[in-house]
Amino acid sequence: MITLENDRLVFSFPEVHDDARLDITFQRTLRIPDDDRTYPLPPGLGCFPLRHVDDFGARVPEDWRPRGGVMLPMFQSEALWISFGRRSGYPFAMKVATGKINAVDGKRWVNGLAREPQNYMAVPPQPWLDGYCIEKGVIRQFVAMPLGDGYTAEEQITGEAEHGGIQIVAYPMKRARYEDLQRRERSRLRSVKLSVGFEECAPAAMGLAPGGRMRQHIYDDEHGLDAWDQANGSRCFVAIANSLSWRAITGEALPSLPPTARDYAKAKLPWFDYYAESPAVDGASALQNLLSVVGIGKKKRETPLPENESADASVVVPLGPAKPGPRPVREAMLE
Amino acid sequence: MTFGNFIRKARERRLADDSRFSLRQVAQRIDVEPAYLSKVEREEVAPPSEATIVRLARELDEDADLLLAMAGKISGDLAEIIRKRPRLFAQLIRELKTMPDHAILRLVREVRDGDW
Repeated sequence: MITLENDRLVFSFPEVHDDARLDITFQRTLRIPDDDRTYPLPPGLGCFPLRHVDDFGARVPEDWRPRGGVMLPMFQSEALWISFGRRSGYPFAMKVATGKINAVDGKRWVNGLAREPQNYMAVPPQPWLDGYCIEKGVIRQFVAMPLGDGYTAEEQITGEAEHGGIQIVAYPMKRARYEDLQRRERSRLRSVKLSVGFEECAPAAMGLAPGGRMRQHIYDDEHGLDAWDQANGSRCFVAIANSLSWRAITGEALPSLPPTARDYAKAKLPWFDYYAESPAVDGASALQNLLSVVGIGKKKRETPLPENESADASVVVPLGPAKPGPRPVREAMLE
Repeated sequence: MTFGNFIRKARERRLADDSRFSLRQVAQRIDVEPAYLSKVEREEVAPPSEATIVRLARELDEDADLLLAMAGKISGDLAEIIRKRPRLFAQLIRELKTMPDHAILRLVREVRDGDW
């Protein structure tokens, strides 16, 4: 079952285990420059609002209605990242696609999980996803672009502008495997104890396109396919509305605009690096071959990201389980 | 479980794995005096303000609405929602009071998966 609670998608599987709960939020963030430099992780600037598509009836585009799910608003060329928050520590396999193109293996959406190449993320250790896995340890940031202009990963790979949005499915770990993991963990603990150019006049539906390069690992699943309860997955279609259509559909204002990466860096606000000891998967060749938004813009003689100056990310805060000491949070508080 | 007891147990659970969850350090991070937080945990004073409870919930990774309810408070945004349509929400809440949790979640918040 998926519920919507305070702008969080909450995946829960009481039929598998009471602890099987996972919160997903869509985080507002800086758009990192699309300049072929590789940047650290930008901050979270708060959650995007989420609303049920069903609550707005005829006000949503006709092709959104049969899909159900939720919707969120984005300005053109705005970026986001997806946060996988766990209340209970229960492990999940998460598959994420944009325009029904898998963000990890670059293939068209299929049901179920696969290895070789791995088409999902194990949470933990994966704490978040910021973009398309193009190389081992490097992603290209998710950037919102109008569906139909040729920028999105979906259009570059399929040649069609059909789906847009974000698609997510979560599979909990099998109950017996989780309980076994818990026993082993308890035993281990005992032994230890001892952006931004925004356009307002674009079509309603948005998709995600590959933006700037960022250091981020997609971790190899150490549990193996057999650990996941694929009979009990829950999935959700997240439609992306542009600013004008969001106001028209919901009557609500959008969150304020994030700063540009350059302004943020100039203010010496923090960027982040995540350290975990788990091995990472390789990038997908289909995703590696995608042109970034700026790359497509050059071919089309357009300037899709008008404020795309390079930024000097000099303040980088280390995060993650492999990093000793206090644990800061991947957030920035802006006045 | 009472508010003070709940937050003390939640903090001590985290303290078992992470020394940053000592009374003193948590109090510093939520911007209150350690002596005050200690009194809150021992229930020698009334629960703190909404803003402090929200900071505490975030610090302890607990649900802010749950902590506010345990403290006998209601969050400002919920109060505002009810104030705008008091009769409707009073009626709604009374009618839902005996429904099981899963039925309420299905009725109010379940995200429908359609055809895609």
